Amino acid sequence: MAKEPEEEESGEFADFLADVSKEIAERVESLSPAPEPPAEEKKLRTPRVAASDRKKTPVAEAGLIVEWPNIADRLIEEMR
Amino acid sequence: MSVVNYGTREITCKIVYYGPGRSGKTTNLQHVYSQLPEERKGKMVSLATETDRTLFFDFLPLDLGTISGFATRFQLYTVPGQVYYAATRKLVLQGVDGVVFVADSQSRQLAENIESLQDLHANLADEGFDPRSIPLVMQYNKRDLPASEIMPVEELDETLNFRGVPHYAGAALSGKGVFETLRSISTLVLSRLSAPATKGS
Repeated sequence: MAKEPEEEESGEFADFLADVSKEIAERVESLSPAPEPPAEEKKLRTPRVAASDRKKTPVAEAGLIVEWPNIADRLIEEMR
Repeated sequence: MSVVNYGTREITCKIVYYGPGRSGKTTNLQHVYSQLPEERKGKMVSLATETDRTLFFDFLPLDLGTISGFATRFQLYTVPGQVYYAATRKLVLQGVDGVVFVADSQSRQLAENIESLQDLHANLADEGFDPRSIPLVMQYNKRDLPASEIMPVEELDETLNFRGVPHYAGAALSGKGVFETLRSISTLVLSRLSAPATKGS
């Protein structure tokens, strides 16, 4: 397992490690990628499309069931 | 070489010790290696000839552990100083993040220092680096030799350090200046850490 630099070291290497750790800590903090925006914020950012630009639901051809939420009701009715 | 990888949470830095033959590049790495705590000692790969000259290159991986959530590794390389190993020097420079130029302080080695510095610049340019902006630190080594044999640091600096980069007096055999030099180049390299283009890249 990788060792954290805070653990005990001594001598020239320890000084070197301390300096490098400090430099990396500073750099990494300032360069960390921005966190992903929260879901709600994301939702708000979704570009709104004008009603006229929205794609219209294609008209169903004859015999094709398009009203899916009503299917269960229909099946129950048929079975009665 | 990518210095920081936010996807794998890794920081890897490649530092190359460059300089003329017998200037003390391998000795620098040997001192760093000797100071590593046992649990951090990996393998220092050193390919030397029977006369102890570096034949190909030295490689010292430094695993610094997890720092700020990033697995941090430094890779230290030396190049063979002798003129006829030009191809190897070029190869080792590939993907370099920072260079330590180890100059020999002896007066009679000045021409070799200049030639090696020119060679470094040419090879960096060939590899697509800008020799004027790549992180560089100068080390004037062998300061432990008699004063009559070595040039003053100021004079060396005036002749070799035209970029005005940080410079250190060294005596790598005893370890003097070795870690100061390493700290300095590491800081320069790390200060160039760049932000990721996209998250996870």
